[in-house]
Amino acid sequence: MVRTNPVDIDLYERGAVVRFAGVDAGYGAATVLAGIEFEARAGEVSLVTGPAAAGKTTFTHLLRLALEPRSGRAVMLGVDIARASARAKANLKKRIGYVAENPVFVEHWSAFDNIAMPLRLLGQKPRDYDHDVQELVDFVGLGDAADLTIEKLSNAERRRVAIARALAAKPTLILADDPTAGMSPADGRRVVRLLTEMRRVGAAIVITSQDESLADVGPILRWRMDRGHLSRIGYETAGDGEDYE
Amino acid sequence: MRRALPGVERALFWTLVFAAFAAVAVALGARAADRIAVSYEQQRTNYAIVRVIAPEGQDAINAAQTALNTAPHVTSAAPMTAGRAAALLQQWGGSDVAAGDLPPLRLFEIELAPAEAQADVNGDIVAALAQGGVTAEVVGAPDTGSGGGLAGVVRQIALWGAAAFAALMAVIVWLAARGLAARRREMVTVMCDLGATQSETAGRIADEAAMTGLVAGLVGAILAGITALVVLMLAIPGAQLETLRDMILPIDLLPIAAAPIGVAIAAGAGARAAAASIHRQAARLG
Repeated sequence: MVRTNPVDIDLYERGAVVRFAGVDAGYGAATVLAGIEFEARAGEVSLVTGPAAAGKTTFTHLLRLALEPRSGRAVMLGVDIARASARAKANLKKRIGYVAENPVFVEHWSAFDNIAMPLRLLGQKPRDYDHDVQELVDFVGLGDAADLTIEKLSNAERRRVAIARALAAKPTLILADDPTAGMSPADGRRVVRLLTEMRRVGAAIVITSQDESLADVGPILRWRMDRGHLSRIGYETAGDGEDYE
Repeated sequence: MRRALPGVERALFWTLVFAAFAAVAVALGARAADRIAVSYEQQRTNYAIVRVIAPEGQDAINAAQTALNTAPHVTSAAPMTAGRAAALLQQWGGSDVAAGDLPPLRLFEIELAPAEAQADVNGDIVAALAQGGVTAEVVGAPDTGSGGGLAGVVRQIALWGAAAFAALMAVIVWLAARGLAARRREMVTVMCDLGATQSETAGRIADEAAMTGLVAGLVGAILAGITALVVLMLAIPGAQLETLRDMILPIDLLPIAAAPIGVAIAAGAGARAAAASIHRQAARLG
């Protein structure tokens, strides 16, 4: 049972998919993030940039519910995280698509089966999801590699599989932690474009990266993370714009 | 499963087969010991010796034979010959005994029908002999205090020994199945990331382990059953499959039937516990 607050629901209905207010987080005795104020809205792409070890990945862990806020208020998808049960959090996770810096897969399964996994967890049968997964395979440009096992894929292909898997369950919130790491600039920008496409279906997208140039990919709300402090820079509308209205 | 039993799964499968085989073999051995003990106890308690006290002479022996033929509880009675006595003495004493050296014997070997616990078997036989004009005593099997009742101890040891061994095998299966969960760590992590609950994740791994356990348990149990049949055919001279089929009781097959279920339960439980632990680690970073 998800305990909800009418104010949180109202916030969510007005498009605030994530709202953090004064959130602290860390590991063990160390505090990594302090006083985080953040909001991600439906149909909006947020790009969080910053140097290495600034706290970007920890911020992503907070957003993907792998890390509990120590203080402050975190409301995601209309649910106050501090008051949510384990089952409620699991249900929330099913509405979050996550592309990790080093994605974990079931290596001996095919890319297709890995992409279909979120749908299987939702109880869908292959006949229900085969068409949708094939569309995702085409969308991310995986082609025939979808039938290969993960262990046979290149780094770029693995990243595409991770993106397709993150999008499979039509998530409300999409997170990508340094999705261009280890990729060529062209491949990296293609990956980010794929992710930002999802704003068209009303998802909130949060991308963390060291690469400041990704702000050029499209209309993006920019944030900067530095030594555990997050600051809002503003909207970046200038870009190559080739795929955007 | 794309490939039949790759890597760790193959090792797990054969570990479970071995555990099932060993547990069933020990259980079948225990059943054999139990049945031998029961049979021994029946033979022991159904055997007695009648010693004719009075009168003396061959007429008394004849009268005792007549009385014993109609006495209650007695299924057969035969006077003990000097040759038979010499053979028994040699068997018990270990040294050669000449039948000619023995005095005239006034003994009968009798076999008894199973009687109700409250029946006074010896008293009834003595009374029947007295009615035939013979004074005699019946020497039955010694009671527990005199060294008898060993069969009961053997049966208890067989039962609890087999149960303890089965429990030990279950622990081995439980531990081995944890290896499967470790092998599935990446799947548990992925499922956790995708929002599967701990019970969903652990349940999936447990189902796989239980299915492996069921098949491995079946293979181990069948192998143990075949081995037991071969051992019986070698141990019992002239035994044929038909005679063995008549000898084997339905309860003797219980270990073979129980092993696959037991292995499946132990494997499922082990994998479930390990997967739940991995899920907890994956679910929480801070």
